[in-house]
Amino acid sequence: MTAKLLDLTGIGKDRLHLAWVSSAEAQRFAQIAGEVTASIKEQGRLDARAFDLELEAALMTVNGETLRWLVSKELKITTEGDVYGRKWDTASYESIMDSVLAREYHKNLIYLAIERGNESVRKISAQTGLELKKVSYLLADLEKTNRVAFDRMEDHKPVFAVL
Amino acid sequence: MTDFEPKIVAFLCNWCAYAGADLAGVSRLQYPSNLRTVRVMCSGRVDPVFIISAFKEGSDGVLVAG
Repeated sequence: MTAKLLDLTGIGKDRLHLAWVSSAEAQRFAQIAGEVTASIKEQGRLDARAFDLELEAALMTVNGETLRWLVSKELKITTEGDVYGRKWDTASYESIMDSVLAREYHKNLIYLAIERGNESVRKISAQTGLELKKVSYLLADLEKTNRVAFDRMEDHKPVFAVL
Repeated sequence: MTDFEPKIVAFLCNWCAYAGADLAGVSRLQYPSNLRTVRVMCSGRVDPVFIISAFKEGSDGVLVAG
């Protein structure tokens, strides 16, 4: 899931590596250290300042209730079933998690864009790279959950503020 | 840019990967020094928050080994 999130931010899942090394596999550890270093070296330096908005939004997303609930309930819902008694298979559950991940991430991105002064839909779209329709759609969600509010009209266009 | 040395944060689980790294050290095996190790008691402790924060704080890569 974190790999998918890194892909969404533009940083790329190849910067995150996972390895299983037993305490007896010293040689393998050295080998993995070499491989990971070579892989990151090839990808070059990561400029955290260039990805500042995206990283902040990613942090908000993994810290957020929605994702954390989904992750923690996965085992129960795919084995015993949900509160309605339906059993979910892992693949459909994970595909739901993926779409919620993208949605929450984009919502947080929009929230932060507004906080940093991009208050109209066009400015948000320019800052985040999301299309206008998507920004409007997710803004409605943010308004519904009282995270963002309509502030005033500027030049016949609505302008928003964070709450 | 050919002498760019990446900073990689490595979350190592105490019983397996960290012990493996320790054994590599004792056996005098050579490997790149770009890994900044963080010992955790179990790789399951590693939260996505740690990983994103590592990138936020300026690491170029993250390794989780268990």
